Amino acid sequence: MTQTEVRLEGDSIAELLTRGYEYAYEQGWTDGLPIIPATAEAVKKFVAASGRKANDLIASLPPRKGQATVEAIAVNAVMAGCKAEYMPVVIAAIEGISDPTYPLELMQVTTNPMTPFFLVNGPVRDQLEINYGTGCLGPGWRANSTIGRAVRLALINVGGALPGVYSKTSFGSPLRYSYICAENEAENPWTPFHVDRGFNKDDSVVTAFKASNFCNISGGEGVGPEEILRQIATNMPPMYGGGDGVLLLLGVNHAQSLHEAGLTKRDIQQQLWELARLPISHFAEAFSSTERKAGRGDDTTVWRAAKPEEIYVAVAGGPGPQNVYIGAGTPKSRLVKPA
Amino acid sequence: MIVTDTFSKFARRMSATQDFPYVVIAETPNPIRQLEHDALRARAEAMIQGVIDGLTLPPAEIEKRTAHLVKQLNPQGVPRSSVPV
Repeated sequence: MTQTEVRLEGDSIAELLTRGYEYAYEQGWTDGLPIIPATAEAVKKFVAASGRKANDLIASLPPRKGQATVEAIAVNAVMAGCKAEYMPVVIAAIEGISDPTYPLELMQVTTNPMTPFFLVNGPVRDQLEINYGTGCLGPGWRANSTIGRAVRLALINVGGALPGVYSKTSFGSPLRYSYICAENEAENPWTPFHVDRGFNKDDSVVTAFKASNFCNISGGEGVGPEEILRQIATNMPPMYGGGDGVLLLLGVNHAQSLHEAGLTKRDIQQQLWELARLPISHFAEAFSSTERKAGRGDDTTVWRAAKPEEIYVAVAGGPGPQNVYIGAGTPKSRLVKPA
Repeated sequence: MIVTDTFSKFARRMSATQDFPYVVIAETPNPIRQLEHDALRARAEAMIQGVIDGLTLPPAEIEKRTAHLVKQLNPQGVPRSSVPV
């Protein structure tokens, strides 16, 4: 990312902000939405809030091999509308998607609109007000809206994933603006997601998934655990490009009901794995053939995940008979290092 | 490098990011995933000369043959078109 200093003038603050946005848009620095100007002072403040040096290299982002230094990340975080204290989370997210086994280069250039999804755990959720309750995947919360956006801007500006230039994405996706929430640990009757992955409960952790979709699953209120799981399973069909696994964000009501029925997360994974399958006649031959080779089908049936452990279960959202199914896999967890 | 023609410019840009803009790209019309075995084989055979050229031509000759394509590589301004540039 080349450093450029621009001086703009306006007769009012509103005009100046508009000119800043329009200038950034014309340079191709934005996702299309307005940005906050990344002044030298703001970038310096964000670098300081990261607890690292400006030229510390966090990642080399494909396809352009752009150097995602702390300073370059700070520029994008400012533009995205982050608060300075979000920087450690943004950095952990970029560390996660830069794991050598995370398919970032494919995601940056493919025609499929797959995108990172970030799940945040630990004390940082409350410290930064990262929403994990009602409306956690929707608009209205600054941290949720801007942390994911900062990563996306870095993927565009540092990585070079400009649609039509390096990115071949046929449709793109609204999920590419910001796709992030925290886990509702207080209403999770089991262990938090990051603890399942070997972290301490008091650690703050970002887990990056390769994600392909968003599907809200409604229904299953006031019924037993078998019906809840059947309702979920029949709404998470095998899907092209959704391989690798499933992230199920269980709503708090269903999580409580399943826990009261004595089910563990492992039980839920096993039952969903057994239920989320369809006859091979339901699918195009090319798709079922691919799934068979990937260990997700046989001569009569195609199923959603190769094994129960690839159905990742977390708890999020507010009250209501709702759950969210995300075709997601290759989770990469990174500790959020405080400044 | 072998590609379907729709993605030829993307391919050369990607190659350029690795500091190799001057490569021979063997193309075949897009799409290919619906093709039966024999039709796919015929397409592959039609691309073989391009592959051989890429592997055997001197670098100066490859640069000469592809210079006009490299000049078209970077779009002017910020592309926001529904048509891949």
